[in-house]
Amino acid sequence: MLRLANISKSFGSTRAVDDVSLEMQPGEIVGLVGENGAGKTTLMRIVAGELQPDGGTIEAPAPIGFVHQHFVLVNAFTIAENLALVTPSGARGLGGWAARNGRLVAPPTRPGPSLTLGVTGGIELPDSSRLVADLSVGEKSKLELAKAISRKPSLLILDEPTSVLTPTEAAELFAVMRRLAASGAIVVFISHKIPEVLEIATRVVVMRGGRIVAEGGTAEELANAMVEIRGASSERRAAGGITAIVGVAGNGQAELAAKLRREATGIVAAIPEDRTRDGLIAEMTIAENLALRTKVPAEQLIAEYNIKASGPKQKAGSLSGGNQQKVLLARELSIEPNVIVASEPTRGLDAEATRFVHDRLRDAAARGAQVFLITSDLDEAFALGDAIQVIYRGRLSEKLTPEEAAAKAPQLMAGL
Amino acid sequence: MTRAVVAVVAALALVALTGWLFGHSPVDLLSILLGGSLDETILKAIPLLLTGLTIAIAFRAGVWNIGGEGQFIAGALAAFAAARFGLVAALIASVVAGAAWASIASLLRWWRNAPEVLTTILLNFIAINLLGWCVNGPLQEASARYPQTDAVSVALPQLGEVHAGVVLAVAAAIAMWWLLYHTSEGLRLRATGFNPSAAKFAGVHVEAQVFRAMAISGGCAGLAGGIELLGVTHRLFERFAAGYGYSGIAVALLAQLHPLGTVVSAFFFGALATGAGELQRSANISATVATLIQAVVIFTMILFGRRARA
Repeated sequence: MLRLANISKSFGSTRAVDDVSLEMQPGEIVGLVGENGAGKTTLMRIVAGELQPDGGTIEAPAPIGFVHQHFVLVNAFTIAENLALVTPSGARGLGGWAARNGRLVAPPTRPGPSLTLGVTGGIELPDSSRLVADLSVGEKSKLELAKAISRKPSLLILDEPTSVLTPTEAAELFAVMRRLAASGAIVVFISHKIPEVLEIATRVVVMRGGRIVAEGGTAEELANAMVEIRGASSERRAAGGITAIVGVAGNGQAELAAKLRREATGIVAAIPEDRTRDGLIAEMTIAENLALRTKVPAEQLIAEYNIKASGPKQKAGSLSGGNQQKVLLARELSIEPNVIVASEPTRGLDAEATRFVHDRLRDAAARGAQVFLITSDLDEAFALGDAIQVIYRGRLSEKLTPEEAAAKAPQLMAGL
Repeated sequence: MTRAVVAVVAALALVALTGWLFGHSPVDLLSILLGGSLDETILKAIPLLLTGLTIAIAFRAGVWNIGGEGQFIAGALAAFAAARFGLVAALIASVVAGAAWASIASLLRWWRNAPEVLTTILLNFIAINLLGWCVNGPLQEASARYPQTDAVSVALPQLGEVHAGVVLAVAAAIAMWWLLYHTSEGLRLRATGFNPSAAKFAGVHVEAQVFRAMAISGGCAGLAGGIELLGVTHRLFERFAAGYGYSGIAVALLAQLHPLGTVVSAFFFGALATGAGELQRSANISATVATLIQAVVIFTMILFGRRARA
């Protein structure tokens, strides 16, 4: 069995997992649900030994199979070679086919054997000599599953495994999960799709803000437990034009932001989602980063935005995350934009910096700018949005008032 | 700065040690190597400074122009062709030709996303062979004895023992320093080099920056070729470029891509090249020792450089 007691884990000032205790029995299929950033993946990485907890005790069975949300495959290798890399017996488990002359050989000219039961626990992977680079996403995710199962795990963790699967493939996956559980393994299924979880799990655990907040319930109860709704519109000021677009990450937000930027008229300010790639230029100074777009002197903006730095000549890369975000905000808002497209503007910021960013966006809206706030944080959407739209699988819902959104947004975010 | 000094000291120490193993006094060796004539050092430093700037501005913009050699030849060929219209015309032609030759690579990058590291090197081979054909064919001297051209009709004025190209080269370094660190275009160019994605978000037209940097870069190399023709060789011949385009990489890396640092670094490599010639004459040590030092300097700069961003 799996026994977790008082597990905690912080990253900087964020408490990713907060005093979690949980037990799972062999044969259980546990659905672990929650919003993005609720701590589900972090908790399971601690269980799998990939992360060290700050405190608490773990009793876990071995071996543990972990299918990550992102593929961990060697693209230039074949299916068989990828499996041979992880099977404890090396290539022997593959019937010697891939291990000729002590090397992993995959004859490209004739098809390799189809790998089924035994090796892969009942997952069909036709022609194992195909290169991973040529597989579809669904096949890649099957291969990941096969890799995990080939080690005969007593605990199998699946992190959002269905996000790239077709319904048939998902059904196939569920069959494998049931078979594994029936043979006495514990299966943990991380997801934010409630209908699926209800279909497969024997037990559902809801996480929010690093804590376990609920166990079991109907679809609606679960959806509501996933997101905390604070007094919907109380904080809001009467200001024109903040549209909050809320959704679970990976539902087409990046494409939407690009489209909004492209189609906007007038001066467009952009707060990018991927800050290391698209945000400040780490090698350049604060002053240089600001001068790329604005004519307002750096000293003035540093004072106005309360940026904690030794001076305008400090390298942007040496600032804390919150202060980097303030520099970016200072630059983008000082050009007096007509349109602001802000993607996850407060992700990873502490409470004070978050409040600061929110105030600035409200000020900009009050000055007449049209603000699009793209966020996966429903609280943030309620705190700022005059109107709220939900994005799910690349599609926007109709515009909701905050009152309507309080009732409907969680279900829309989960695709219900 | 520290890194540059370490690189130079390491390279010189290696040469001294190797020389000592072969029975040469390290002190004599280094004093010959670094004690070449000042005039000759400056003459060698002029093309190195310009090809160093070629690399510096391109690398600053994140474009890997390895084609200094070809652009140098293109510049010299154009200067030769335009010499009949006077000195100024020849110099302008060399800049334009170098810029145009480099722009072929930026066009291919823009059109088919062809990596400029490869295209600029391939353009070097084309330029080298084009020059070879010219001096064996249409541009061969009237007497047709050697594979070389006749002497050009115009020449750079002399300032004592050194030709006026030194003024142009130093002026180019100062101009480039001003452009990079004191203009908003320079800021955008550097932003492009550090992080094109973030630069784009900040409103920089990244493609235009790449084109401009490549053109300026090629222009510098072209000018180097023109100046070498009009100030030193006065003729074109097969091995005219003599590796100046590639040596520019060492010059620029030692200067850590700073235009003013490039002046110092070009002077150092100019002194080395001069000293290496002297070493060959007096101690019978091959002049390739200068190339060896270049290589060690590049290795040291790269090995102890800031690690590239992931």
